[in-house]
Amino acid sequence: MKRQTRRLDRQPGEVIDRGSPLEFGWNGRSYPAYAGDTIASALAACGERVFSRSFKYHRRRGLLTASYTDPGCIVQVGDEPNVRGAHRLVTPGMDVRSQDTWPSLAFDVKAANELVGRFLPAGFYYKTFIRPRPLWPTYERVLRRFSHGGVVSPDPLSPELSSYDKRQVHPDVLVAGGGPAGMTAAVAAARAGARVMLVEEEHSLGGHLRWGDKADLAALHDLRSLLAASGVEVLTNSVVFGRYDHNHVAIVQRGLPHVYERLVKARAKTLVVSPGLIERPYVFAGNDVPGVMLSTAVRRLINLYAVKPGDRAVVLTANPQGDAAVVDLERAGVEVAHVVDARGGDDLVRVLGRGGVKGVELVGGHRIECDLVVTAVGWTAPLTLLTMAGTVAAYDSRAARYFPGTATLPDDVLPAGGVVGDGTLDELVAHADAVGREAARRAGSMSRREPAAEIPALPVDAHPELFHGPTHGIVDFSEDVSSRDLLTAVEEGYSSAELAKRYTTATMGPTQGKLESVNVVAIIAEATGRTISQTGTTTWRPPYAPVTLGALAGRHREPVRYSPMHPWHERHGAAPLVAGAWIRPDHYGDPAGEVLAVRERVGIIDVTPIGKLDLRGPDVPKLLNLLYVNRWSKLEVGRVRYGVMCAEDGVVLDDGVTGRLGDQHYLMSTTSSGAASVWEWVESWLQTEHPGWQVHVTPVTTSYASINVAGPRSRELLGRVVAEIDLTPQAFPYMHVRTGRVAGVDGCVLWRIGFTGELSFELHVPASYGLHVWETLLDSGNDLGVRAFGIEAQRILRLEKGHLIVGQDTDGLTQAFSAGLDGLIRLDKDDFVGRSELVWQAEAAAESRLVGLHPNDASVVPEEGSQLIEAGVICGRVTSSRWSPTLHRSICLAQVATEFAEPGTLVTVRLPDGRSVPATVTEHLASVDPEGARLRG
Amino acid sequence: MILIPCPWCGSRDAGEFAYGGEPTPRPDPRTATREQWRGYLYLRNNVAGWTTERWYHRMGCRRYLTVQRNTVTNEVRQP
Amino acid sequence: MVIVGGGVHGLATAYYLARNHGITNVAVLEKSYIGSGGSGRNTAILRSNYLTPDGVRFYDRSLKLYERLAAELNYNVMFSRRGHLTLAHNDSSLRTMRWRAEVNKASGVDSEVIGPADIKKLVPFMDTSERARYPILGALYHPPGGIIRHDAVVWGYARAADAMGVHVHQDTELTGIDVEQGRVTGVRTSRGSIATRVVVNCTAGWSTLVANLAGVRLPVQTFPLQAAVTEPVRPFLDTVVVSGTLHVYVSQTDRGELVFGASVDPFASYSTRGTLEFVEGLAGHVLQLMPSLSTLRLLRQWAGLCDMTPDFAPIMGHTEVDGFLVDVGWGTYGFKAGPVAGETMAECVATGRTPELISAFGLRRFADGSLVGEKGAAAVGH
Ligand SMILES: Cc1cc2nc3c(=O)[nH]c(=O)nc-3n(C[C@H](O)[C@H](O)[C@H](O)COP(=O)(O)OP(=O)(O)OC[C@H]3O[C@@H](n4cnc5c(N)ncnc54)[C@H](O)[C@@H]3O)c2cc1C
Ligand SMILES: [Zn+2]
Repeated sequence: MKRQTRRLDRQPGEVIDRGSPLEFGWNGRSYPAYAGDTIASALAACGERVFSRSFKYHRRRGLLTASYTDPGCIVQVGDEPNVRGAHRLVTPGMDVRSQDTWPSLAFDVKAANELVGRFLPAGFYYKTFIRPRPLWPTYERVLRRFSHGGVVSPDPLSPELSSYDKRQVHPDVLVAGGGPAGMTAAVAAARAGARVMLVEEEHSLGGHLRWGDKADLAALHDLRSLLAASGVEVLTNSVVFGRYDHNHVAIVQRGLPHVYERLVKARAKTLVVSPGLIERPYVFAGNDVPGVMLSTAVRRLINLYAVKPGDRAVVLTANPQGDAAVVDLERAGVEVAHVVDARGGDDLVRVLGRGGVKGVELVGGHRIECDLVVTAVGWTAPLTLLTMAGTVAAYDSRAARYFPGTATLPDDVLPAGGVVGDGTLDELVAHADAVGREAARRAGSMSRREPAAEIPALPVDAHPELFHGPTHGIVDFSEDVSSRDLLTAVEEGYSSAELAKRYTTATMGPTQGKLESVNVVAIIAEATGRTISQTGTTTWRPPYAPVTLGALAGRHREPVRYSPMHPWHERHGAAPLVAGAWIRPDHYGDPAGEVLAVRERVGIIDVTPIGKLDLRGPDVPKLLNLLYVNRWSKLEVGRVRYGVMCAEDGVVLDDGVTGRLGDQHYLMSTTSSGAASVWEWVESWLQTEHPGWQVHVTPVTTSYASINVAGPRSRELLGRVVAEIDLTPQAFPYMHVRTGRVAGVDGCVLWRIGFTGELSFELHVPASYGLHVWETLLDSGNDLGVRAFGIEAQRILRLEKGHLIVGQDTDGLTQAFSAGLDGLIRLDKDDFVGRSELVWQAEAAAESRLVGLHPNDASVVPEEGSQLIEAGVICGRVTSSRWSPTLHRSICLAQVATEFAEPGTLVTVRLPDGRSVPATVTEHLASVDPEGARLRG
Repeated sequence: MILIPCPWCGSRDAGEFAYGGEPTPRPDPRTATREQWRGYLYLRNNVAGWTTERWYHRMGCRRYLTVQRNTVTNEVRQP
Repeated sequence: MVIVGGGVHGLATAYYLARNHGITNVAVLEKSYIGSGGSGRNTAILRSNYLTPDGVRFYDRSLKLYERLAAELNYNVMFSRRGHLTLAHNDSSLRTMRWRAEVNKASGVDSEVIGPADIKKLVPFMDTSERARYPILGALYHPPGGIIRHDAVVWGYARAADAMGVHVHQDTELTGIDVEQGRVTGVRTSRGSIATRVVVNCTAGWSTLVANLAGVRLPVQTFPLQAAVTEPVRPFLDTVVVSGTLHVYVSQTDRGELVFGASVDPFASYSTRGTLEFVEGLAGHVLQLMPSLSTLRLLRQWAGLCDMTPDFAPIMGHTEVDGFLVDVGWGTYGFKAGPVAGETMAECVATGRTPELISAFGLRRFADGSLVGEKGAAAVGH
């Protein structure tokens, strides 16, 4: 096992628990660590310096920021790719591997890319592999093999990695960022009476105070006590990744016991954005060699993790943070060989060494040996959440960073802390305290009379503008984009920040521009002779931090609906059919047998998903007349009628039957898939066009279980289970409705209709008795040969009968005449929805018609969707087709161009396998009983 | 998710509603020309800015309601 | 003449005007930078497996132009033909897939309906089990479909047009169109006026605003369409996968990122800020298709504006104002049409006649009530 050779003595602010040692694996070898260590700190404590290979050139990469954004330490943990090793805590037995290195981290054959590096400048691919053409696909395959990142597997993930959930919260004040500003603002808001949630990306609160000096640590201690007493809900190891319209705020919470990650969705009354500042890397030759780190990285390593980051350091500093790093380094026993003070105009020229830092070259050629180079050249304000809220970032050259343009922020978003200024800790606290109070006031937690809190502006410290040194270096570490690439882009005309960014892919990688975007803009500005302000900014696109698909999806479950008869179907081997929200029996093993049972004896089918609307009121006939293309004013009590609805463009929308149960009481049925949309359609006409009409609509689709009893012996079967209803043809003729008791159940509705073409009765029974009535029917009809039939048998039966299915035999443009509904449409009605278009269609004659079609070879069943082709031109298509067990032949419905719609016309069907077969247009849509004798029987 | 103010239920997530778009007055079907009718079917103002539109509170009170929304900023107010 | 809009449509039109017709006295006006609209935000899926013979013919021509574009522009547009799968989760979409396949085959375009076993072979990560909430019953497989580098297409056209003398003005917004006695006489911009007798509107999501300046009303509504990309992982997905039922499509770039798209936002808007519900729904649907991707992280989301027409087909050609032409209504599917639209619009402008290939797409069709049949099978269309 490795030893922690670089672990320092106990540090005052350390976050590791020396009482809890553990072991984990790195590339198959065992490593020691302490609880509280990140993957990166544990490996660094054991002297490891190289954690990955870079994207394009496969250069060795080490720690740069030692924080979540560190591009050098992205690793594979078990089945999880792209884990941020400088943020993720180690756990016992964790299996960590470097990504995308072959055959090993030390010997990466792809590093050969580096040798041809001069051939991979910006826009390289755009300019090459053009001729001869076949080269690009070949090269593309090679390129894909070189692509970056971890691995995913098609196998199911372990339960730990596959459980996620969501939570909804409604805080008055949500604070994003738990440094001193965020902590103070949260406490102040809570004291003002607000319900507050504070979210921090790192594992502990405190921001930069955590790696500060004694005074900082003492202040942090006090802030923590205040916070603990304030009642603020604190989420650590969690990140606010988006602020969407109307202050809908998205948080991903990690480190939970039972779920891997949780999406917390907050509807915050006010949002305080206090993410602090991100330290900016310096662009110069060798700035990505392992051993080159930011000042915050070494301060984190030393103070939080007690890791000695090197033995001999050169420090480039332009600010107090860099100076403090020098102090930290010396305290940790690192020899500081040289301090380059950028405030005095000093600079670093290049880093010496390839696999690791061996020294630096200063201006004038002087070289210093060292194994660690530290830079402290300035800050980037992470503005994602604020730009999502509408801010336009503005550059301040005196401070050498961007600030949010507060004027453009909505009232419910308040920035705090480092993103708006600097100042002493006291100034920061005074400012954040006011922000917290104001946030609470705006959230309405304080009395309305409370005047707006005066928010003291933070001073802004002057900072030299330091973006790059005298040599070219890496700008985007995760994309391997150099400053030279940016210059190339500008030279080739991609001179706006957006274009150059796209051309070079700078800011497109896993660090999302957090480290590199300001340097990118600065370098383009310089190359184009413009100021940074003139060059603009690059957009910060959400999410603020990458978030797993698992967390976004949560416990993804889509509900399904079952009819009350579902248990019976399952017991009897029904093949399930997913029909939108419903799971229905497709068949019970023998659809043809089910068809014959209906044609010859009697069958029952579960049609519960049929949409049902209960309509009451004196104006129902007006409504029906408006929505259906046919006439409804004279429907008597006790009758049902088939109707078709069109949209205002004359296109067929839905169909179904409606029955009149009482003087002012109707039951409307719709297709199963139209159940919800027709209801909405009915409501829209009533509420927006005819608010004066007295119609009350109640959806009753699932209040009733619906059973169709069909077949020549259906009357006989039903006679055994109904008591007071006279079923004789004289008393209960075709297209009539009765209500009464079925199988002892009151309140049933019976319709005599016939989708199948047989004598049939549709029963709507109170849903809780559905299964009872179903089973009673089957029990009572044993001797009659009753049999349950499924959707497939019903499809065949209706096709034999030539009944169309809206959406199958019609499509999104089929107007009513093309659907063959001529007989139904009453253009002499004053008005109905779609009438105008249908009047014009009638004048013009429909371009296509729905017809019945019989392939001349009765054994050929053309697949639905097969095309009709005449003289090389498509003239129609088969919309429905089946083998008819009744007729022992194939039968179809087809949409054909009107000139081929005459009965007896011979057409040619092109089968999917390429064969062409002749078929004949039939006299009627129906192949079985076109006169309708059976269903009237 | 933006919030839609329902006069009956209060502010609710837009996901509870169906979007009804710009209301377009229905021409008199007895007198409308084809041009007018197809204008009613297909033409919308598609304003970039404040517009009046219809929403249906599908998962709430099931009422159609009218709101004003700025199509650029998504600010919403009651008419 | 003036072309408004520096997306693929405007730039391609300018390019073909110069190349095919020798007309280089052309100004392309772009209010931001070229490709800042849909052309730089789309998911760059190319295919020609449309539903109507007119559509198939049109998009097939575009694909043919795309094939030789790199050589023609001397710019690698990285067209990657990797096959395109449209999944069917119910019998009605399976029927539509068959319909499309047969129309495609009749027009000589390679498409076929394949079953779950073949889908699994093409996409091993796919859950093709019957237990899925929306089981996969089959798919329309279209081998010529693929993806391309959208920026490269935009830049390639711009560069080539520029080299032939066309002027591309970025940061130049069209603010007015002068129309006298029913014909265009000039335009006003944020940087001055231009006298011209021809204005071509290629502004997609903004097209009604521009048309209003000429007094022309368009049956177009602007809806945001969102997209997102994950962090890179090693290649595992070779084909483009689309599921209409689950409102999602996905492909993996050469860099290893998964690129996702969906259907347009539920309400009209000019906002490109993106929403949380989009990424939530997207992730849920992606995981329904490929459940083992839970740990993959979403890196970036964005939105573009789409100019939706009532029949999911474009509006191309002349309008009632002489000299004011439109090439709009590209909705969620117009990137793939860039070359053919540029070629035909250039011909339209140069000759004054409407090429046969786009005769079905005229603005008059709405007043005439003869809509294009792609609406017949409205699915997620990209
Ligand atoms: C997320 C997303 C995914 C998509 N996926 C696909 C896909 O996979 N396949 C596919 O084929 N299509 C896809 N599309 C659609 C495709 O992007 C568009 O149809 C296509 O890019 C339209 O190109 P265009 O040139 O017409 O418009 P745009 O590229 O939008 O260009 C219009 C330009 O006009 C400019 N402009 C507007 N108003 C003015 C003015 N007044 N003055 C000057 N300039 C102005 C704008 O700034 C803009 O640059 C997708 C779209 C989006 C948003
Ligand atoms: Zn309501």
